Amino acid sequence: MNDIAPSRYKWVGTRPIRPDGVPKVTGRAMYGADLAMAGALYGKIIRSPYAHARIRSIDASKALKVPGVKAIITGADFPDHKFEYVGPERVAQNFWHLTRNIMAREKALYEGHAVAAIAAIDKATAEEAAALLDIDYEVLPHVIDVDEAMAPDAPLLFEDMITRGIEPAPTKPSNVSKRLEFAIGDLAKGFDEADVVVEKEFKTAAVHQAYIEPHACAARVDADGQSEIWTATQGHFGVRAMIARLTGMNIGDLRVIPSEIGGGFGGKIPVYLEPVAALLSKKSGRPVKIVMSRDEVFKASGPTSGASMWVKIGAKKDGTITAADGVFKFQAGAFPGSPVMNACLCAFAPYNIPNARSIGYDVVCNRPKAAAYRAPGSPISAFAVESALDMLAKKLGMDPLQLRLKNAARPGTTMIYGPKLAHGGYVETVEALINHPAYKAPLGKNQGRGVASGYWFNGGGESSATIQVNEDGTVTVASGSVDIGGSRASMALMAAETLGVDYKQVRAIVADTASVGFTNPTGGSRVTFATGMAVVEASKKIVDELRQRAAVIWDVDADGVVWEDGQAKPASTNVGDFAPLSLKELAAKKALTGGPITAAAAVNAGGVAPGFSTQFCDVEVDPETGKVKILRYVAAQDVGKAIHPSYVEGQIQGGVTQGIGWALNEEYIYDKQGRLDNAGFLDYRVPVASDVPMIDAVLVEVPNPAHPYGAKGVGEVNIVPPMAAIANAIANATGRRLTELPMSPPKIRAALDTPGADD
Amino acid sequence: MSARVVLSSGFSRRYTGGTREFTVEARNLRGVIKALDTLYPGLSHHLEEETTVAIDGEIHEIGYLQPLRPGSEVFFIPKLEGG
Repeated sequence: MNDIAPSRYKWVGTRPIRPDGVPKVTGRAMYGADLAMAGALYGKIIRSPYAHARIRSIDASKALKVPGVKAIITGADFPDHKFEYVGPERVAQNFWHLTRNIMAREKALYEGHAVAAIAAIDKATAEEAAALLDIDYEVLPHVIDVDEAMAPDAPLLFEDMITRGIEPAPTKPSNVSKRLEFAIGDLAKGFDEADVVVEKEFKTAAVHQAYIEPHACAARVDADGQSEIWTATQGHFGVRAMIARLTGMNIGDLRVIPSEIGGGFGGKIPVYLEPVAALLSKKSGRPVKIVMSRDEVFKASGPTSGASMWVKIGAKKDGTITAADGVFKFQAGAFPGSPVMNACLCAFAPYNIPNARSIGYDVVCNRPKAAAYRAPGSPISAFAVESALDMLAKKLGMDPLQLRLKNAARPGTTMIYGPKLAHGGYVETVEALINHPAYKAPLGKNQGRGVASGYWFNGGGESSATIQVNEDGTVTVASGSVDIGGSRASMALMAAETLGVDYKQVRAIVADTASVGFTNPTGGSRVTFATGMAVVEASKKIVDELRQRAAVIWDVDADGVVWEDGQAKPASTNVGDFAPLSLKELAAKKALTGGPITAAAAVNAGGVAPGFSTQFCDVEVDPETGKVKILRYVAAQDVGKAIHPSYVEGQIQGGVTQGIGWALNEEYIYDKQGRLDNAGFLDYRVPVASDVPMIDAVLVEVPNPAHPYGAKGVGEVNIVPPMAAIANAIANATGRRLTELPMSPPKIRAALDTPGADD
Repeated sequence: MSARVVLSSGFSRRYTGGTREFTVEARNLRGVIKALDTLYPGLSHHLEEETTVAIDGEIHEIGYLQPLRPGSEVFFIPKLEGG
């Protein structure tokens, strides 16, 4: 715990100009594609044009004869792996699957699936060779939709896949990789006690994280095995581990340097290009750079799952929820591993429901393998549950916020995954909206208001940081966390606060895998919490060191020196009459007092507090065109303590904006052959500035006592409520319940024209 | 001091024959894991690799030195991943 009272914070909670701003707006930031290695070859991935096809053979002999082609690899160039799931349930890795996603072997399982790669002296040469690569495919029937993939007669992606989690185990293979179930209480009793029950089916579309920067990397593998990889990633230590495992290299030989990152949202945690570039470099003896096109980003990097869901909720007349049940069927893409477990765990988490059950299915289909996307899984199940709650509020004649407040999870509420909730914060987000002046603002014709809440676990885990006091008294903070959401600013603020020095004296950087200790990826809203703890720990070590250096100068015991306001001072008059020594003065005498002043800290951060968000929006529905205009959007989120409030507001606004796109426009559209029809930003429509109003981010601060400054993860939970909030607003405006995302104009028009589609 | 330990249903089905709840004597998480490994040899590896822990509702990564209070509730839950 920090011994500074929040009211006395000098830097934490302030809004200095963002340190990553100048290089980004002047175009000088080095993104993944910006690095040029001397002598680098152009790397090109050859991808399957088919959604599902057996690869009978690949003949590279003609392609290899093209002058300027230096290496060609296929799946056979990668070491194969045993078929086994390793690690925790949700993130269990099966390297037999992973190596096949990096490059297909027996079958291509989606359009865009990598089947070979070429390294050549330039793009034209690589393309000439690609045209000569002779790949013999046997095209197979495919399946895209999750319900169709679960049908008994569906084409099978894996002829030997037996569903896990069912006992006794099924005797026949299917596309269902896994079944999960979480439950508390007595569901039948709970529904018996209910006076009102709502029940509905919902569907969501697969959506991409839609980061603006495409995947890109450059690899140099030297003859002695030493290697450097430059890449756009959320977690360079994870990239190092994956390259080592997938190519057979040693972790100690690999140095991974993260570039500036142009968005990730979970989608830049997996590896796609890096092991390929490393193997091409190894084979050719030259550095290799690969950059995905936008088309490749959509077709070959992970979207989040689309889903088919059913939810049933029962309540007493006074609004007390007595039971809730849900079935969540998630597209995993071509290999198992959708975020359906998170969806099951988060679905009812904001509420105190004594009898509840979540059943999940992880289902493979001929789409790119699903990857994490901002609070993975939670927004999808929340669309169903929060829509159903809105229907329940209407049936009960209750205000939807009051219904949520009445049933709110509080510290001590038993969660569906077992333990009792340890942290508050949800009630405060609901109350913030009840008290928001705009919540009672009048609505016009064709306008409606919708409410929804969301839950996300947030993350902790392993982080490392080092701090150097430079000879002029400035401070450099290096951490292992890639900065996606402003962590350089928040790390510098926390270091400045702990050291008691001016923020302008502190610069924070992201260090590569050889320059700082192991750090988990930037994901799970973990960085400000966990890496922040490491930075504060390192700062405290620096303070101790500075006290010792002052003690050496004054020739007193270190116990006789205190650190206050960025200066060493005698602890009492008994110690002696010494003028305070500033950090700058102590830094100038570093050689005389013991050498460089530096400290490192590493943590495995626990005491994670979850994130809650409650949001409302006002929409106007054009009854002629079906277009939905977002008139107002208010998002309250418990952020613990906002270290840099502008970045926190930006996180909330960003999450809501992505949610608006997910709600109204974004979807993967496939043709009859299972080929993606809209692999580009012209046809895959993300919101632009004119689509969104100024989003009112309401920071609710319920500090986390486990963090030195009270921080909680803030990056993800904001994307959980928007889809349901907008659906509920549309229902309020039109009287029609939209149950399928995206709620695009044709669907709105169809709902308006369909008798019986009433909310 | 004694602690109540609970495993998830899926985890217990796989490794403890369905037994989900235990009472163990332990001062910290290392003690809990050790006690469960005595009951089910090899279980410590699965607990350490496959789970996150909630101690009195507060979620932690598995770390041996996590202290317990008398009567603590220790839930081992599946590891989670964020975006």
